[in-house]
Amino acid sequence: MAQLIQALVLGLLIGGVYALMASGLTLIFGVMQIINIAQGAFLILVATFTWWLWRETGIDPILASVITTPLMFGLGWLLYRLVVSRIKGQSPSMSVLLTFGIALVIEGVLNVVAGNKFKSATPSYFEESFTVGSIHLPKPQVYGFLAALVVLAGLYLVLTRTWTGRAIRAVSQNPSAAALVGVSAAGTAALAFALGSASAGVGGSILSVLYPFFPASHYDWISRLLGIVVLGGMGSLPGAMVGALILGLAETLTATYGSLRWSTLVFYLVIMVVLLARPQGLFGARLREDGVAA
Amino acid sequence: MGLSACGSRPSEQATTSTEPLVIGISLPLTGDFSQPGGEARRGYEVWQKQVNAKGGLLGRQIQLKIVDDASNQDTVVTDYTKLITQDKVDLLLGTFSSLLNYPASAVAEKNQMVFVEPAGGAPNMFARGFKNLFFAQPATAPHQADVFVNYIKTLPADQRPKTAAYPTQDDPFATPVISSMQKQLEALGVKTLYTQTYPADTTNFQSIASQLASKKPDLIAQGAVFEDGVGLVRSLKQLNYSPKMLFQTSAPSNAGQYSDGIGAANTEGVFYTVSWNQDAKTPQNPDFVADYKTAYKNADPAEDAADAFAAAQVLQAAVTAVGSIDQAKIRDWLHSNTVQTILGPLSWSQTGEPQGQFLLAQWQSGKVQVVAPSEAATTQSVVNPKPDWK
Repeated sequence: MAQLIQALVLGLLIGGVYALMASGLTLIFGVMQIINIAQGAFLILVATFTWWLWRETGIDPILASVITTPLMFGLGWLLYRLVVSRIKGQSPSMSVLLTFGIALVIEGVLNVVAGNKFKSATPSYFEESFTVGSIHLPKPQVYGFLAALVVLAGLYLVLTRTWTGRAIRAVSQNPSAAALVGVSAAGTAALAFALGSASAGVGGSILSVLYPFFPASHYDWISRLLGIVVLGGMGSLPGAMVGALILGLAETLTATYGSLRWSTLVFYLVIMVVLLARPQGLFGARLREDGVAA
Repeated sequence: MGLSACGSRPSEQATTSTEPLVIGISLPLTGDFSQPGGEARRGYEVWQKQVNAKGGLLGRQIQLKIVDDASNQDTVVTDYTKLITQDKVDLLLGTFSSLLNYPASAVAEKNQMVFVEPAGGAPNMFARGFKNLFFAQPATAPHQADVFVNYIKTLPADQRPKTAAYPTQDDPFATPVISSMQKQLEALGVKTLYTQTYPADTTNFQSIASQLASKKPDLIAQGAVFEDGVGLVRSLKQLNYSPKMLFQTSAPSNAGQYSDGIGAANTEGVFYTVSWNQDAKTPQNPDFVADYKTAYKNADPAEDAADAFAAAQVLQAAVTAVGSIDQAKIRDWLHSNTVQTILGPLSWSQTGEPQGQFLLAQWQSGKVQVVAPSEAATTQSVVNPKPDWK
């Protein structure tokens, strides 16, 4: 029983962090139909920068997200204005190619600037745990989870309670109607891309404590995040959260009760089964098919 | 020029060429293996500079033609095919990892070119009967842990581990080491409490750690590449379980990165096997270390760089001995001779499998020491049992 609770708790903690990492990806897709393959590279970029900040200044890596988040917001906005906006209106596959290119550039730059070595931020608490009865809660995971919750809640409030957020959602649901009521599609898209990138600011800072990383780690991360987003439904924020929790639990439960070899497989099996029953994912909206009689 | 020159290497057309001697190499400079790939490149380049400074090989300056295979099996095949058939390089050196050297060595074999690889000790590499393949490390993966088993045999019964756990990454270089160790230790009477193979992309080790903490093995022997080695130690520490003995395959050999990753104090007593040691007194090793440090901002060389340097030394010794780049002569010479390298003496069976022994290394007071075999040991003391986590 204790083993089950331990596995569940760990799965939830990890899932929360995954949810934050996947939120940016799903947000960007929801608004612009852009699949941002560079999201994993953003995470590693931030993790590297966080590691450097922590080493040079001693700032807590997770707290460093206060610095990395606005920086990533700016970088996302710039990237959208300078590069990504040029493929507006083209097919999603074009966005895959473009953002994959951005990911490779980031990997290359990191290789040159930071070197091709594993890094991990190791603040004093990085291998301590809270103990509740016989259940261990690793401190980095707990702090990461809490930071993820705060950011996800903030993102949710922005999207539901502010005019900007409503504009973002309007554009994602019906761009032409949003334009009719005076929402600038271009401005909103830039903002959504910036917000999505900013979420990697917190995600990457948390990653720097939880896992060792090096420039090429972003491939592992993007495949994991894409899996989460497809399972939850492309473009759905609640979907990303549920998908992330399922992945976290699939990992810890199969590791505890089956074989770790199965953990990745189990997750993708779940995706396949869900997609067979619901092609749009758990929370995905069916794309509008205007003009077709329902 | 007659027809006979068609398809021959440029340097074969004139034996007294003053053209540079071109060595074709593909390496994983990007992608999953970019880290060892980058180190291997450094090892090759340090060797190149040293040899060129002394007048080159066969009186010719050495030029390395290094291309990137992006850690991809298809690309590595394309790379070596192009190096051999279009660029017509004079000699080849191998890429990094069994995964990439497996198809790459097949290209070399098909073209009858000697292929000395700095890494790639998976058993299936040598099950194909290749005549041109040579692995420039002291032993293949299944024999890597022999030296650790031998050390345990030397311990009095009350100091030996009674129980063991064997988590290993699904990796051609980690799994055979651990499964071979498990068989040998079971034969010694060490009871197996746990075996588990996990995929390469595993990032969460708490689940493994919590099972280990509940089973309480004396020895944890992990087939760890790098991240997983750090990840498991961190998780064990979070759960406050410290085994009496900890062995990991490759992770602890990444000196600075490993101690940064788990905290320097926690490295105390960790065992691993390694093909090379920085303080070894093998011929040319001090020069290699010094030149590496000079070239790369005083960084300590990684084992991967040393292995690449040694692979180049092997090729150099053979070319020098036969006095030409005739591939058949080089191959035959390597099959019947022993080469002194910075890893120690290397010799090969007919399939290119090396016939030596790895070094048993241990972290002691924040530094790496060689504890076995005795002729290579840098210290006489061994930390056993491992102290608790700090």
